[in-house]
Amino acid sequence: MLETENDAQFKQSGAAVHHNRCTAFISPKQNIMKGIHIMNSVLKGSSYILVHAPDMLVHGGTTQITERIVNPESDYLKELPKHLRSYDDALKYLPNQVYIGNKTPADMTLAGETWYDKPLGDINRFGKFGEIMPQDEFYILMQINDVFDLVMLDKEFVTKTRPGFEKHPLVDEELLALVREGTDKADIENAINNENAEGIYHDGSLIGCVKKAHDIDTNLSAEIILENLISKASCSLSLMHLIKTTGIDKSEIDLVLDCSEEAVGDMNQRGGGNLAKAAAESAGFLNASGADIRAFCAAPVHAVIHAAALVASGTYNNVVVAAGGSIAKLGMNAKDHVKKELPPLEDVMGGFAALISKNDDVSPEILSEYTGKHDVGTGSSPQAVITALVTEPLDKMGLKIADIDKYSVEMQNPDITKPAGAGDVPQANYKMIAALGVKRGELERGDINAFTEKHGMPGWAPTQGHIPSGVPYLGFAREDIMSGKINRSMIVGKGSLFLGRMTNLFDGVSFILQKNSGSSKTENSESAEKTEAKTSVQPKIILTGTGSEHGEKNMIEGAALAAKRGIDVIYAGTKTCDGVKTVTAESDKDAHEIMEKMLGSNEADGAVTMHYLFPIGVSTVGRVVTPGKGKAMYIATTTGTSSTDRVEGMVKNALYGIITAKACGVKKPTVGILNVDGAQKTEMVLKELSKNGYDINFANSGRADGGSIMRGNDMLSGECDVLVTDPLTGNIIMKTMSSYTTGGSYESLGWGYGPGIGQGFNRLVLILSRASGAPVVANAIEFAAELVKGKYKDVAAKEFAAAEKAKLKSILENLRASNAPDAGSDAVKEPPKEIVTEEISGIEITDLDDAVTALWAEGIYAQSGMGCTGPVVMVNESKLTQAEKVLSAKGFIEG
Amino acid sequence: MSLFENRKVVVIGDRDGIPGPAIDECLKTAGANIVFSSTECFV
Amino acid sequence: MDLENQKRVKEYAEELGAENVIVVIGAAEAEAAGLAAETVTAGDPTYAGPLTGVSLGLAVYHICEDIIKEAVDDNVYDEQISMMEMVLDVDEIKKEMETIRSQYSKY
Repeated sequence: MLETENDAQFKQSGAAVHHNRCTAFISPKQNIMKGIHIMNSVLKGSSYILVHAPDMLVHGGTTQITERIVNPESDYLKELPKHLRSYDDALKYLPNQVYIGNKTPADMTLAGETWYDKPLGDINRFGKFGEIMPQDEFYILMQINDVFDLVMLDKEFVTKTRPGFEKHPLVDEELLALVREGTDKADIENAINNENAEGIYHDGSLIGCVKKAHDIDTNLSAEIILENLISKASCSLSLMHLIKTTGIDKSEIDLVLDCSEEAVGDMNQRGGGNLAKAAAESAGFLNASGADIRAFCAAPVHAVIHAAALVASGTYNNVVVAAGGSIAKLGMNAKDHVKKELPPLEDVMGGFAALISKNDDVSPEILSEYTGKHDVGTGSSPQAVITALVTEPLDKMGLKIADIDKYSVEMQNPDITKPAGAGDVPQANYKMIAALGVKRGELERGDINAFTEKHGMPGWAPTQGHIPSGVPYLGFAREDIMSGKINRSMIVGKGSLFLGRMTNLFDGVSFILQKNSGSSKTENSESAEKTEAKTSVQPKIILTGTGSEHGEKNMIEGAALAAKRGIDVIYAGTKTCDGVKTVTAESDKDAHEIMEKMLGSNEADGAVTMHYLFPIGVSTVGRVVTPGKGKAMYIATTTGTSSTDRVEGMVKNALYGIITAKACGVKKPTVGILNVDGAQKTEMVLKELSKNGYDINFANSGRADGGSIMRGNDMLSGECDVLVTDPLTGNIIMKTMSSYTTGGSYESLGWGYGPGIGQGFNRLVLILSRASGAPVVANAIEFAAELVKGKYKDVAAKEFAAAEKAKLKSILENLRASNAPDAGSDAVKEPPKEIVTEEISGIEITDLDDAVTALWAEGIYAQSGMGCTGPVVMVNESKLTQAEKVLSAKGFIEG
Repeated sequence: MSLFENRKVVVIGDRDGIPGPAIDECLKTAGANIVFSSTECFV
Repeated sequence: MDLENQKRVKEYAEELGAENVIVVIGAAEAEAAGLAAETVTAGDPTYAGPLTGVSLGLAVYHICEDIIKEAVDDNVYDEQISMMEMVLDVDEIKKEMETIRSQYSKY
């Protein structure tokens, strides 16, 4: 897209950029230096399906076909059927459940190094990304996808299978109308015996066949029609699930790109195509065209790069990349599996679909300008290949290898490849990337294993060729990026072109998926982009480990857990935390001093601790898991004092909650006010602020009468993103929601009491309870990392400025004037600042400001703050006794 | 040098190990006479 | 080993004489290296290809073995292979190759 007049206007006026929706299409990735705008497209969602296919493995897998030709009487062919897995066993297989989204790659790491020997207890056919379809139902789907009357299914089989198929949540009347009644077994046998039809089997019995589509043309033989119909049907099933997972209207899809490995055509054009359009028709995408992209196993990544460019260029708005499964590769390594007494694990066919759309400001961006590719002249040495695919695009962006949080390479499941002597393919790829890092001086040789653990994943994809090629991670990548777990991921696809005997070349491509830069940013320079890239390496978070009611071991456990999630944790405590950088402290006070020092010197980007003296004006925004639907909710606020005036405090809390939520990636957080004393007045002030131009997205109560005042029920169901309350009530909510499952003394849920937010307060300090358990400790560290990555300081500055612009100050002044009977004390001069370390407690919160002023009047420098047990005044160590005397004399504390 | 003297070399590379062409590049510098080079793919 | 590759190895051994052919492999794993080496010496252990029951006894080496590495120009080896030495379990591969050679290699 060439730079338009409108775009130029936006660039001149930063303000216009903030308020005009059109700016959704302006992102910092637009490279004005090159004179063109590139607006990155985004990954809107993806779907993943498997088809359990044990009989297809036996009859259609090439390893078995070859064996029947070479050794028809072999022991292997006799043994194989005894080793096949049942459908239930395929459902219980962890990697399969990861593929459809019910489990995560992290679950696999936790389970160990093999998974075939660890069946899951519960059975799930459907997952958030798709499903595992049983073989019999798939045959019905295949028949539906056959528009040339080539599939014959046995009548009895159809009668038996149809009821199950009818229950499929994505199968509608229109599809059901296409299910044919079926034919007599005798006709099927006749077609196989006399007309070269290919048999279809289920549970070891013949239940149908596919007829040849031409008498002479081998490209339309029964075997090839079967292979192509399977690919089409499983591709269309992926498309059906994609509509469900993304919620997009079918009519909005402009193009489907099929990236499977089948050739569709006849003797005059053997790879003519277009499987994509055929599957799009089957899935009912009436406004879509299609085209096939073939590049062996690298095709899916090629296809995503194509799709992203077609959308970025404005040619199309919504492009789907999809592929169905391959019957040929079923049981490819089954000989080795059977020999080692394993089930033939390659008994499922895979399919996937991904939707690439115009930038929506939210979904992860596909960086079209920074793709990697293996060129004809690159050479085939592994280091040349990894350089071309991984480090060349990174060098262009000014990034290092470790700046990619997760690499998704070829995600073949090592359960399958290891017994076949082919090793652990993803692991080998991660090692190659790390080894290149060593060669480039970015990593130490001893770091290779740690790198592969941190930046890699175990493989969970079936060895279906194109299916494992980087893309299985797209679903999780989108989630991990949008939740702030990671910033960017690189997806790498590789292909063995030499198998086609046209070249000795290898092939590979890669692209980067990155957190959406949003519409609000106005920087356009490349240097700004580089700075952003550099600061987004893993945040360093320091944890003080002293003072927990559950002992230091509990804190160490939490630190280790967070480190395992990829966060750079620094532990300050009296004991050592294995695997985490530890700074030894002699006492709690010592740990806090270390924390302060590291925050001050920027050795740590943020801190998590059990107590901190925040100045008045600062309070903490916690985050809980609401029990109703498991949704996260920000509690604004949970400790500290935003203001000594209740309503003013709650108004500020709303602002702090919005800042925290936005910094954690919630674009337009909904704000509700808990029905406590002062709620109505707080709502009035917030509405006024909103009217003045500070955009607040008010939540709506789930109760019949609605409104943005939240009742107890709304709190449980998580009706709002940010729940505004006073800190004492917020504190009770935090404790209740964190410990209701344990009975109280151990807080096991949520992310803790959160960061202290306040105007001018620039340290990132998050609070935990002394009762917080290890999981909450880890979550709090992660929460801190999210805030650093989300640039909480910038977000806070922007929100405060916007609120000021909407006259926050004068609104609050009016509020105070109407409340306070007398402004009181004559201006007392502030004495010279001193280091304040000693706390005096026991002062009423409403008297706090006056107590400080009283000390100032005596020439003692003092600050107010919130201690563990309530408000405190802090003074210099040398002035403690004197200050206590003053406060006691004036009646602020008991003498 | 004596290893390859008067002998013909067949190269069987591995896509996930050392690919054929990378082996070829090396063996050429050792004076090897390569008659066939191929790369296997296990996945 | 791929059936086509077995066929080619067999043809060259027959045409040039087994003593005149040397096989160099690049397998990623010791097990796969062992299988390939066994195929061109003792015969195809999977009973699938043209080398089933054919004991050629060829000289066979992995590219990462010292005898090959020493014959290759250092710079080229560094450029083409050295990175993979950090990835592959070279010691395991060497051990496996030596075992197979001592058992089955005739040349």
